[in-house]
Amino acid sequence: MQDELAAAFDSWLAAVCPPAVVRAIDAGGSSATLWREIESSGYLDALVPEAQGGAGLKLAAVRPLVQACGTHAVPVPFVETMVARAELARAGHERADGPLALAGLDDATLPAAARATWIAATTSALIAGAAERVLELASTYAQQRVQFGRPIGSFQAVQHRLAVMAEQTCTARMAAQLAFAVPAPRPDRTLAAIAKCVAGEAAAIVAAGGHAVHGAIGITAAYDLQLCTRRLLAWRTEGGSPTYWAREVGTAWWRSGETRALDFALARLADAQG
Amino acid sequence: MFLDTLSLTRIPPDDEALRMPVRAFLEEALVGVPTEVRARSWSGFDADFSRRLGERGWIGLTLPIEHGGGGRSVFARFVLVEELLRAGAPVAAHWIADRQSAPQILRFGTIEQARRFVPGVCRGEIFFCIGMSEPNSGSDLASVRTRATRTASGWRLDGQKIWTTNAHRTHFMLALARTSGDASSRHAGLSQFIVDLTLPGITIRPIADLNGEADFCEVFFDGVELGAEALLGEEGDGWKQVTSELAYERSGPERIYASLILLDEWLAWLRALDRPSESSLALAGRILAVMSVLRSLSIAVTAQLDAGASPLVESALVKDLGTTLEQFIPEAIADALGEDPDTPLPESLGRTLRHVAQIAPAFSLRGGTREVLRGMIARGLGLR
Repeated sequence: MQDELAAAFDSWLAAVCPPAVVRAIDAGGSSATLWREIESSGYLDALVPEAQGGAGLKLAAVRPLVQACGTHAVPVPFVETMVARAELARAGHERADGPLALAGLDDATLPAAARATWIAATTSALIAGAAERVLELASTYAQQRVQFGRPIGSFQAVQHRLAVMAEQTCTARMAAQLAFAVPAPRPDRTLAAIAKCVAGEAAAIVAAGGHAVHGAIGITAAYDLQLCTRRLLAWRTEGGSPTYWAREVGTAWWRSGETRALDFALARLADAQG
Repeated sequence: MFLDTLSLTRIPPDDEALRMPVRAFLEEALVGVPTEVRARSWSGFDADFSRRLGERGWIGLTLPIEHGGGGRSVFARFVLVEELLRAGAPVAAHWIADRQSAPQILRFGTIEQARRFVPGVCRGEIFFCIGMSEPNSGSDLASVRTRATRTASGWRLDGQKIWTTNAHRTHFMLALARTSGDASSRHAGLSQFIVDLTLPGITIRPIADLNGEADFCEVFFDGVELGAEALLGEEGDGWKQVTSELAYERSGPERIYASLILLDEWLAWLRALDRPSESSLALAGRILAVMSVLRSLSIAVTAQLDAGASPLVESALVKDLGTTLEQFIPEAIADALGEDPDTPLPESLGRTLRHVAQIAPAFSLRGGTREVLRGMIARGLGLR
């Protein structure tokens, strides 16, 4: 059922938010039409409890939706609004219309630490989604672009670069799964820190690799690659860089009292469910 | 989408329950073993220890009970291996037989071969080594020249293997040899043989390594007479068999944790301080974060094995990521400790660091080089 939801959401996004729409909004155009589509879709209430008119989805069930927003480079605050609506409902507030920012919620509704955790978890999943798209674009391009009389994807140097991108994409995707894997309504702080540290590092490697494989065409505004790579770089540091979140994980280890690496990992991962 | 089959999977509780009994046994069995010895991880060889593990039923854990195995799932084996690596247990004696040779024999061999070898492997009494590499056949395994020629009673083996880990301490080699054609025939005409290493005509010479140890060997075959029963599987199927063997070889947690004992020793050193530096905390956090995600990926590959798949590309991907972490750990820890060159290090931490840092280049060579693995991933992407 979760796969069906993700597939339906993905095709819906492909229809309402194609690259042309992203490009126009990125260039300063109006996002009103896209936002109307999003509001009327009902997806913004995915995390709102059913009793309050939402879909009451679990955290793990919305991770593919967040990831798809990364794949399609959604240029409006869909994810933040979805989370904000859930937090407002949780705090017993009326639903607010229009795009919402987590920074706009008061501390009683969403404490600063919980806000940071949400940003770490959601940007990890956005990175995973955008990385998938960059990998797909780059491996397709490498098979089509011919130089020296053969597709550039037949050169070992290009193959290995793409292999590293595939590794990092898989790493980011697993990191995102961990960030969303707890049964609680909010992401777990340490799991989100682990995810963002790892996904943030992956973001830079995948973005750089995507451009290296594409050459000059990837730098142009007209080609879709930039829609994802610019976002990968922004999400990499939004709400804290990989080093910021690495220090957070290190501090969690220090406070845990565990010494051994595996014992720390086992305790943190114990709550994560597939 | 590429490799979106790697899903977060929880180890089933029944399998997870194996962890504490194994941990308790290891704590008692390895008491007093110094850290730099434990840091040899799965390269440490101790036949007595392997027999004790066999007595517990912890060799051949996933193999069928009727052949002396434990009949448990691959998840149970993941837990067992994870604990063996956490303790730095000397598992090398039985490691290859447990991980590769016995499953290969059960998969491709006759019932007589299964009865002859598998129960002894599970008891920790029969040890195997892998006869793949040759002087001119490293990454290009299909070019092997060791030849097995049919005789009236079986086969005669001539040629040479090299880099054969523990050939001088094990009983049998699972050897890849050419039975027809020549090196230009590539994947055709190769076969696997179970070679008794005590047979006349076999010379084994250990090769000293840069750490002053001698784990790997040259092995010479000079007219070695093998019985017909030495052939494993069908003649000419060697390449197909060896490919499936490499999936076992690459998929386990031993490709994440080779530097774990060093990491734990460094974390213990940090713990002994009042408060570690911010940069050390960030480094510890980064390593723990990467390790946690790679562990989840490794379990996801295990889940595919459990479902009966043969995740060759996935194994290659996780192994390349894992060995990258294993190599990053000694380099980064050396750098962190060197930030403060005037503070003397505990001697065991210094020795452990030196050992792991010096051997670390081997992590991305053994079991398929980084470059070979990236080629396999590229093939998975449709590029080859």
